[in-house]
Amino acid sequence: MKNVKTVYRYFSMCQWKEEEKWLRKMANEGWKFLRTAGFGKYYFVKCEPEDIIYQLDYHPKGAYHNEEYRQLFEDCGWEYLQDKSGYSYFCKPASHMNGGDEEIFSDDQSRIEMLNRVFKGWMVPMLVVFFLIILPQLFHLGQMDEPIEKVLFVIYGILFCLYLAIFVFFAIQYAKLISSIQKHE
Amino acid sequence: MDKHIKKVYVPMTETGFYILLNLRQEAHGYSIVKKTEQMTHGEVILAPGTLYGSLSKMEKDGLIAFVREEDKGKIYKITDLGQKVLDLEIKRIQRLYESVKEMTSDEKR
Repeated sequence: MKNVKTVYRYFSMCQWKEEEKWLRKMANEGWKFLRTAGFGKYYFVKCEPEDIIYQLDYHPKGAYHNEEYRQLFEDCGWEYLQDKSGYSYFCKPASHMNGGDEEIFSDDQSRIEMLNRVFKGWMVPMLVVFFLIILPQLFHLGQMDEPIEKVLFVIYGILFCLYLAIFVFFAIQYAKLISSIQKHE
Repeated sequence: MDKHIKKVYVPMTETGFYILLNLRQEAHGYSIVKKTEQMTHGEVILAPGTLYGSLSKMEKDGLIAFVREEDKGKIYKITDLGQKVLDLEIKRIQRLYESVKEMTSDEKR
């Protein structure tokens, strides 16, 4: 099984563009993506270096049970790989494309719609947890003196930073998309 | 016509336009991609993510309707409402075209 390797690399739910680029880079280096098990665990198989384009789409229910959706991608030459937390993974070798830079979205409106689906599916629930649980708990525990409350305070502090980082990542992704759309125009 | 429909679909995206234009006859998703490619001599190639999103939205808004299931997937057809929206859009594009023609023929004179 030397031909298969496991790589740990963490991407948050709003860094799918970075994830796509990284998977493409790995294929170019001779490691073809097999699947991801979540929590940053990726499996690759040794291959001849090849330029393969990877693309992620997001639908809260995923693609696995949606035959019509998967069929359409397949007909267009995109191989369906797997679902993970609402994200569906597709790939297509650059050699099968006209010009070599195809994407699963061909207009800006649909790119924005995907971003909005991620916002609804991930960011809204996270914002609710952030404002209704993490922030109030942090304020409440900050005024307490018991050791257990101090520990909880630190835990909520870490959560606070983690959530904040993810919100910032999402904002950056959003800003990048908007600026790339303005460049088109 | 509903205000919402008018706001969203007039003017509409190129993807939306080619979907409605091709669904005047029953068709499934991939045949819309192929027909659009032929029609535009390869200049417009609809990507599956974009096409799927537009089809679902148009079906929800009643511009197109599901007809039946076949091996190649769901077959759709334009509805009366979809045809009305398409007519509005064609009129708008004709107006644009007329304006350009007038402008360029004025400049030649």
